[in-house]
Amino acid sequence: MKFGVFFELSVAKPWNPRSEYEVYHNALQQIEAADRLGFDQAWAVEHHFLEEYSHCSAPEVFLAAAAARTSRIRLGHGVMMVLPPFNHPLRCAERAAALDIISNGRLEFGTGRSATWTELGGFRCDPDLTKEMWDEALRAIPKMWTQETFSWESKHFSVPPRNVIPKPVQKPHPPLWVAVSSPETAIQAAERGIGCLGVSVGTPAEYEQRVKDYRRVIKQCEPAGDFVNEQVNGVTFLYVDETDDEARFWGTKLVYTFANFAAHLVGISSIYPTPAYKTPGLLFAVRREAEQQAVTPAGTPERAPGGGGVIREGMAIGTPQTVIKNLKMWEEIGVDRMVFLINSGEQVPHDRVLRSLQLFAEQVMPALDRGAPAARPRAKGRGPRRAEPAMP
Amino acid sequence: MPDFGRLSADRLPHTTPVAAPLYPPPPWSLPGAEILKVTFEIDKDVCLNWLPPSLGRTSPAYAHVIIARYPESPVGPFSLATQYLGCRSRMFVRAYTVQAVTDNEAALSALRETWGFPCKLGRVELSRKGGAVEAGVERGGRRLVAVSFSDGAPIDAESVRFDPVLNLRLVPAVQEGKPPALVELAQIGPAYTIREALRGKAAVTYPEPSEGDPWHLLQPLYPIAAVFVVADTELPYARFVQPY
Repeated sequence: MKFGVFFELSVAKPWNPRSEYEVYHNALQQIEAADRLGFDQAWAVEHHFLEEYSHCSAPEVFLAAAAARTSRIRLGHGVMMVLPPFNHPLRCAERAAALDIISNGRLEFGTGRSATWTELGGFRCDPDLTKEMWDEALRAIPKMWTQETFSWESKHFSVPPRNVIPKPVQKPHPPLWVAVSSPETAIQAAERGIGCLGVSVGTPAEYEQRVKDYRRVIKQCEPAGDFVNEQVNGVTFLYVDETDDEARFWGTKLVYTFANFAAHLVGISSIYPTPAYKTPGLLFAVRREAEQQAVTPAGTPERAPGGGGVIREGMAIGTPQTVIKNLKMWEEIGVDRMVFLINSGEQVPHDRVLRSLQLFAEQVMPALDRGAPAARPRAKGRGPRRAEPAMP
Repeated sequence: MPDFGRLSADRLPHTTPVAAPLYPPPPWSLPGAEILKVTFEIDKDVCLNWLPPSLGRTSPAYAHVIIARYPESPVGPFSLATQYLGCRSRMFVRAYTVQAVTDNEAALSALRETWGFPCKLGRVELSRKGGAVEAGVERGGRRLVAVSFSDGAPIDAESVRFDPVLNLRLVPAVQEGKPPALVELAQIGPAYTIREALRGKAAVTYPEPSEGDPWHLLQPLYPIAAVFVVADTELPYARFVQPY
């Protein structure tokens, strides 16, 4: 199992002129630390207009800065909006290739289509069409990276013959991923032979069937790119401390803040009737649990700050021993990588975040097998389906 | 020793008059309802001006206008037009009721007293022709709101969502200088079994604004969604109440 860090760049109110600056620069320091400590990847989202929840609307800039400060850690778009109303697929390919060059071939290319009305409405993007827009872009971008003369004609965009430059350093191209928050999208990832980048915080039990389905379907995939990237990323929260009580205190602040920010987004499924979006929104289970536990038997809500029991099974919150135990659950269900949200709205002080990363690296990483992918069943007679892109 | 009355508190019905209550208690079964729901973005400051302090706005701020006709109910047929602010109660999606008009006197009392809908009596129209629906509200001789729904096309009923409603239950003080006897938010979560669902385009206008019935304060800035459904629904007891 490998480990990564995941950045939304959440900025809590009240804002001051330095709020965003501090979040960005703290995050860059945390990526430097993660690189030094042996984490494998750092991912940054692309979101627009999502006040407090995510101020990371130009991840290619953030990741380029991270690339310049690090030497080993892989850098991921988690994810880039590849819909033409947001980013023309040509620009997606160009920017990603440039980042792959700048980072010496360390790019992981996650793709997505947004799940909020805030964003889709802001770009006047029809929610019914995002899946097919994403699919077109996903199939076109690897060709832009690998063909000297690229041309394209499809429903949502077209390109006359052009050489899309620069080309990425990784050959044939960087690994492809898609943001997965529903069982349907996990299947679609598998059908296209791309990585399953979990973006909804769930429990190992909730992920288990999704992982099984992904592994089953990817055996018969028609790859969207030039190779199959058979990998499953799980995502959860990370805070490690000397005692479970201390860890739960800060971990609760982290999870509750993130869930509260997420709750104030306008998810497509909550407001726009469409079969294209079926999931009940980010962190739904966390919010439901918080709601249930925050209601007293008398039926009136508890209004204590910090919320109710938002720490769920499998979260990497606790002492190193607790976190090892929890991560074993993820290993057991066949997740290849765990990626961690390590702060939200700077509710955990920056020095504590750095200390948590250090404790994780020193005491948790050695206890987990980081050399091999998680165990998974394979069809008889088939060789490995995962291919790592190569550096020239 | 005087003779005291025999009507002890435990013998009181759910509402008055005690000899023959005006309406039955929840739950109310409301089969065959026709419901038009239109959602649109609104100005965030207008939203904040009308939300209770325990509720939060979203980004962007949005509102719903819902106009429904209930052909069967425990108090006979009635229609109900409501205007809601989309909001969050802690981490949950809710709709806070700002305006309501009904056309049935018994429904008016029940909706106000039991569920806390801020109902007034008026005229509520809803007429459907295929995939088009015209609806509106009149009160005091003014057409307060008009909704025009067009190009309705069938959509998966499971994708249609009605958020739990938060109603302000405010019982006025009966003594001079005292605060209201009750101020609370009641969460009402009607159950819906949707028989037919159409998604289309809609326009919401406020043809004759009225200071006494200020529906026009929630001006649409940008349309989000419009649905028309036929559903069997039930108006239950509140799931819980929360402080204002």
